[in-house]
Amino acid sequence: MSSTNTLMVLQKRRRRSLLRFLLLLALGAGLWLTLQYLNVRLERFATLFDRLGTLLATRYYPPDFEYIMRPRFLQSVLETIHMALLATLAGLLLAIPLAWLAAFNASPLPGVGKSAARVFITGARAIHEMIWAIVFIMVLGFGVLPGVLALTLGCIGFAGKLFVEEIESIDDAPVEAMRAAGAGPLAVFFFGVLPQVRTAFIGIGIYTWDVVFRSATVVGFFGAGGMGWYLRRTADQLQSDRVAAIILLIAALVVISEVISHHARTALEGRTGQRVLAR
Amino acid sequence: MSAAQAMPGSNPAALARWRQARRRGHMAVLAVTSLLLALSVWAVQGSVIPGTDWRRMGGFAEVVTGFGRFLPPDPTLLPTLFEPAVQTILIAIIGTLLGAVMSLPVAVLGAANLRPLGMPGYLLARGLMTMSRSIHEIVWALIFVSAVGLGAFAGILALACRSVGFVSKLLAEAIERIDMRPVEAMKAQGARPLDMVRHAIVPQLLPIGLGTLIFEWDINVNRAAVLGLVGAGGLGLTFHNQLIASNYAGVTTVLLTILAIILVGEAISVRLRRRLV
Repeated sequence: MSSTNTLMVLQKRRRRSLLRFLLLLALGAGLWLTLQYLNVRLERFATLFDRLGTLLATRYYPPDFEYIMRPRFLQSVLETIHMALLATLAGLLLAIPLAWLAAFNASPLPGVGKSAARVFITGARAIHEMIWAIVFIMVLGFGVLPGVLALTLGCIGFAGKLFVEEIESIDDAPVEAMRAAGAGPLAVFFFGVLPQVRTAFIGIGIYTWDVVFRSATVVGFFGAGGMGWYLRRTADQLQSDRVAAIILLIAALVVISEVISHHARTALEGRTGQRVLAR
Repeated sequence: MSAAQAMPGSNPAALARWRQARRRGHMAVLAVTSLLLALSVWAVQGSVIPGTDWRRMGGFAEVVTGFGRFLPPDPTLLPTLFEPAVQTILIAIIGTLLGAVMSLPVAVLGAANLRPLGMPGYLLARGLMTMSRSIHEIVWALIFVSAVGLGAFAGILALACRSVGFVSKLLAEAIERIDMRPVEAMKAQGARPLDMVRHAIVPQLLPIGLGTLIFEWDINVNRAAVLGLVGAGGLGLTFHNQLIASNYAGVTTVLLTILAIILVGEAISVRLRRRLV
């Protein structure tokens, strides 16, 4: 390598590192301005752990486990499981046809139907299920039904997107062969598309259960049924020891549900020999 | 589920086996379907029927008019939505960044092939990952509002803590899958450990990490919108105000604004991730 060449490389490298430095400086300045704009007092960050520590040690500890053993609370836990169950089933059943409509390679209505299904799935996904719950409460009143509906929408948004991605990555050859042979759209879906995505769909369905169950534990926060309401009530009344017990119970339930679904997914993988989505 | 296999042609023994497997597959589908059906009936009878305020809901016509009140959206609200929208987006960005910074040590501790602090560190990291994901953002927000008071700071901390689980889990998996050959090549050349991290490990993790971050930012906009309901500012607060004022049309406007932000964010993130991967 000639010396001029080395010089050019060095110069280029110096220019690039200068550019990188300026970029970093701009990012830092942007970050600082943003924190100022959001009124974040960084000095509070220094005392945060102190305060959090005393808060956890004096108010949240010890957890009031007696509270979560009361029959009325346990009833709400059962209600939470019921809500998650119904919402997952209804959501998955609705998400499959919607995903079929929304997938660009298999949609039976590639025009308006596809766009409508896409907007529906994205909309269900973009809005948080808690906000959906409040909207449904505004119309239907407090209770379990608005919670189930909100969770169903959340389930459609979550599973629908994954289903669409799965359908869009199938092998198109069987679908096109069936179409060329004159098969109708329903036949194409059931015998051309579904056999290719069945295992993945079951895996996604199991995973969706986890997500929906996790949301179901708190969706009642604004009055949509389940144990979330108790979380709200104890938090509002500053009964932090009870809040701690409820949080620990939620974590335990979520872990149990995740362990079960992990085993279900592994069993599915073992049976079919296909890799099932795992996150 | 062997029904998907092709039907065997002339061999009668294979045909009988195929028929039997097919029948077994049908039986399994039937069993699962009836189990799910029974569970739904149990759930509807146990919770939905007794737990819903049917009298307040009224008949079908009332429900339809109830939903009809949300339309059309109220466009006069739009100018006032700009600032909360910016706040929500910024809270999501800062929360995601802070979560990413917090994820780094957790991911390193929780990577099964590294375990720099041995088994206790590994278990601690895995426990933190589970805790972060299983505690809902609303609960994180409640904890931090009681620690630092109302405002964006509590929201940022809540989002960061909620993000740690997902980001560090994916990052730990990426670390576990790392290709060790470049690292060993550098070691053979006598490179310093820091240089090895810088030139052989970071380049392998960067695309996955950035992709995960962009994905997580998307979700965090959605979460930030709800955190306003418990006092973290942004669009959630506007939503709350419209709710209290019973301005149904305004609620729709806020929802459409959130949808618009998410759509734009998704378009950007798809493009960014395509460039990264």
